[in-house]
Amino acid sequence: MSTHPGPRARLAGGLLFWYAVLGGAFAWAVHLLAGWGVDELTCAAGSEHVAGLPLRVVVGAAVVLPALATVGALLAAALLWRRTAAAPHDGRDRSVGRSRMLAVVGIWSNLLFLTIIVLGGVALLVLPPCQR
Amino acid sequence: MSTTTAPASGASRDDLARLEEHWGERASVRAWFTTVDHKKIGRRYLVTAGLFFALAGLSALAMRTQLARPEARLLSPQEYNQLFTMHGTAMIFLFATPMLFGFGNFLVPLLIGSRDMAFPKLNALGYWVFLFAGLFMWASLPFGAAPNGGWFAYVPLTAEQNTPGLHLDVYSLGLLFLGIATTAGSINFIVTALKLRAPGMSLNRVPLFVWAIVATGFMVIFALPALNLDNAMLFLDRRFGTHFFDPGAGGNVLLWQHLFWIFGHPDVYIIVMPALGIVSAVLPAFTRRGVVGYPLIVLAIVSISIISFGVWVHHMFATGLPQLSYSFFSAASTIITIPSGIQIFAWLATMALGRLVVRVPLLFVIGFVVTFVLGGLTGTMFALTAFDQQVTDSYFVVAHFHYVLIGGAVFPMLAGIYYWLPKMTGRMYHEGLGRWAFWLVFTGMHVTFFPMHLYGLFGMPRRVYTYRSEAGWDGWNLVSTVGSYVLALGLLLVLAGVVHAVRRGRPAPPDPWGGDSLEWSTESPPKPYNFPVLPRVHSLHPTWDEPSRESMGAGARPDRVLAEGRRTLFTSELDGRRERAVEMPEASVQPLVLALAMLTFFTAMLFAWYPVAAVAAVAVAVTMAVWLWPPRRPAEQVGVSA
Amino acid sequence: MSGGVTAATGAEALTTELPVGRSTGWWGMVMFVVTEATLFACLLGSYFYLRFQYGAQWPPPGIGEPKLLRPLVMTAVLLPSSLPVVWAEHGIRRGERWRLRSGLAATLLLGVTFLALQASEYAEKLREFTMTTDAYGSLFYVITGFHGLHVLVGLTMVGWLLAASLRGGSFGAHRHDRVRNAAIYWHFVDVVWAAILFTVYLSPRL
Repeated sequence: MSTHPGPRARLAGGLLFWYAVLGGAFAWAVHLLAGWGVDELTCAAGSEHVAGLPLRVVVGAAVVLPALATVGALLAAALLWRRTAAAPHDGRDRSVGRSRMLAVVGIWSNLLFLTIIVLGGVALLVLPPCQR
Repeated sequence: MSTTTAPASGASRDDLARLEEHWGERASVRAWFTTVDHKKIGRRYLVTAGLFFALAGLSALAMRTQLARPEARLLSPQEYNQLFTMHGTAMIFLFATPMLFGFGNFLVPLLIGSRDMAFPKLNALGYWVFLFAGLFMWASLPFGAAPNGGWFAYVPLTAEQNTPGLHLDVYSLGLLFLGIATTAGSINFIVTALKLRAPGMSLNRVPLFVWAIVATGFMVIFALPALNLDNAMLFLDRRFGTHFFDPGAGGNVLLWQHLFWIFGHPDVYIIVMPALGIVSAVLPAFTRRGVVGYPLIVLAIVSISIISFGVWVHHMFATGLPQLSYSFFSAASTIITIPSGIQIFAWLATMALGRLVVRVPLLFVIGFVVTFVLGGLTGTMFALTAFDQQVTDSYFVVAHFHYVLIGGAVFPMLAGIYYWLPKMTGRMYHEGLGRWAFWLVFTGMHVTFFPMHLYGLFGMPRRVYTYRSEAGWDGWNLVSTVGSYVLALGLLLVLAGVVHAVRRGRPAPPDPWGGDSLEWSTESPPKPYNFPVLPRVHSLHPTWDEPSRESMGAGARPDRVLAEGRRTLFTSELDGRRERAVEMPEASVQPLVLALAMLTFFTAMLFAWYPVAAVAAVAVAVTMAVWLWPPRRPAEQVGVSA
Repeated sequence: MSGGVTAATGAEALTTELPVGRSTGWWGMVMFVVTEATLFACLLGSYFYLRFQYGAQWPPPGIGEPKLLRPLVMTAVLLPSSLPVVWAEHGIRRGERWRLRSGLAATLLLGVTFLALQASEYAEKLREFTMTTDAYGSLFYVITGFHGLHVLVGLTMVGWLLAASLRGGSFGAHRHDRVRNAAIYWHFVDVVWAAILFTVYLSPRL
């Protein structure tokens, strides 16, 4: 690395770091609240459509879009892990050590959340949305 | 490996004298009411939580005595209802979390190499509020007005027309009051861990116990509001006639359950997480190595904390919601077992790869593994909706949660008590007595609760004050009761051991166990200022590594001694880079005054003395305004042109 | 553009320390706001939960759809009140006490106006329904009332800051943490109002 990143690049890098670590968790939270909320409230109101769209499609979107966001977070975590493979010698070793550990956390965490979301998708394929 | 003599301090005698002058609190009545020392506050939390544990435990013994035989007449149904409600409520809210916050309060500043918590006066407030809220709730029992709707107080049973009287107003107001302490404590732990770590302690060098307490703090921040809202709505419905839970007027009874379990499930992890942190803290000393797989345990702590918010509907599998809804929660409930399992395997690997040193703390850790894993097994069974619907509300549930709570929280606490007793009191416990206590507690626990799996499957429902002989549950219930007395005896021996150690135990050296973390680099008990020289941390095991130890001895520098004033260091959030030295608050009576004003408010609300409540609310506001009022400073210091 | 992506995904940018350098008071206020925000989220969630269980007509028969004029005026008064606070804070960062005092006073005025408008809304609505009428009434008054309580607390903080700023030696270029932390709380109160406007007043019309 011959040049140091400017403030904008640092901000983007810092945000990308957090996306790598917590992106899957956040996407899963959205998936759960949207999927469960829409299913519960629509069925309670006695309907199987949301704003003209079939309930299955809407819940499906609440599965697919968060799943894609989680895959993105997983890739970001993998990138972070690769970038922190070498220990630097310029006094930033704590930042790199800290980032590498959290990259490991991010990779496995995003895999866990992806699994939960995919399992929810399987349920959607198998069960009718309002069956009690 | 640390030495057994006191760490050679790099601070001069002058420095030590000045530190003592700024941080020391001479014992007096006033000092007792105004202290902000995190170590004193932590010990008070432990003792007070222990008191509430004893009260809740005696309630349980009364219940077990009643259930020893069919159709016993020791307790009336109304008395029984109050006892099981207070047992559950007090164990969860007044014992488990406060006891673990007590450990946290004592240990966190020591573990991170600091001199106090980020908000010392807020810390004191948290203790007083906890004490007053606990007394507020228990005081109702002698008057026969204790909460009686179960620890989760489902509506419509707990609505005013079905349960009149003060019982559930004590419940809702008491928990709202206590919630102030829990929230304050959680914010304090989070901010302390973010800003007050010793220089060099980047996040990948933070002890696992601190990770666990901070994750717990975050869970409280997000979960407690749901409970607070639920209790506020219940109080409004009961006292002022609102209709949140009244189906006849557009309300919904399941709203209570959803909000309750959105809090309630994370709450079980709020209870267990710091306890698992204790296990990670205790193991290195008794396996002579660091815990295996540090990043994976951090992963487990973080992911469990988050996933715990997405499983709550598994407490409602029998309420008739759409199956697709159930599936989302069933998926998360199944996956959460993976990070839980990772921790167990990491600890087992640590024990297998290390060199075991068998002392009482390790015995309780092993007891924890056995018991908690069994509880986890039945927990996985509950994740399957179909099975859950068969055993819901039976003694099988009671068995499960006592296995995970006693296994997952009480055993680690007991390990922690024996492990840190020398550090907290400067005295060693008696090893033989401790072992007797362990075996009685372990045996008593399993004899009490294992049969509950069986008679739960045989059909005995929970929360019944008696049962008929025809059902065939008699013998098993008697076994459970005998077990409960053995358990009580074991716990009594723990108490006796602690009291004996404090009065007549052998004086303890600074580091009796050869521990790896920073508290073992202080005196036993630590001086009021914790560290004469704040350390510069170079690894995950600072008391085991030479450069870190040297930074407190020969490598000490005045900018880490900070003897002029009552000061500690702030460092950066993620990487622990030194930022500045900061002056910390001294002893003050404001926390006690504020807590008393709050107690007045909640008591007045309970008895419907609304004008008094209004005055108390104003007193609360005024006390806070005075507490936070900015100090007056000279113009150049504050930064204005004179 | 690609140079920017390379820089942002390089090791040095990715391992940037972020967040960094905040004070303990800042973190404490942020955590407090997070927990209060969660409480409002649960409250608004309860609104939708009860509403979608209720049936086709919402508000229930006997209660009219909430009129929009006054809430929109209240919004126009409250949301911009964040601006004088920001202006006041930037001023005291440069040591300009007059900016601090006048900014806080302006916010106080706007906030009090908001509460007065809310009182007049209650005066009108209480003739139609109270919080004991049905679940809608309970939700309406508890949601808006709880928010109003937060506005009152926020105004107390602003008033307290104003009082402290009138005395010399409280705030300046090197000492303004309390101002920023109170500002965080005030901005939070504004954002919650926007969510309430959407939930209680606009969503029945969707």
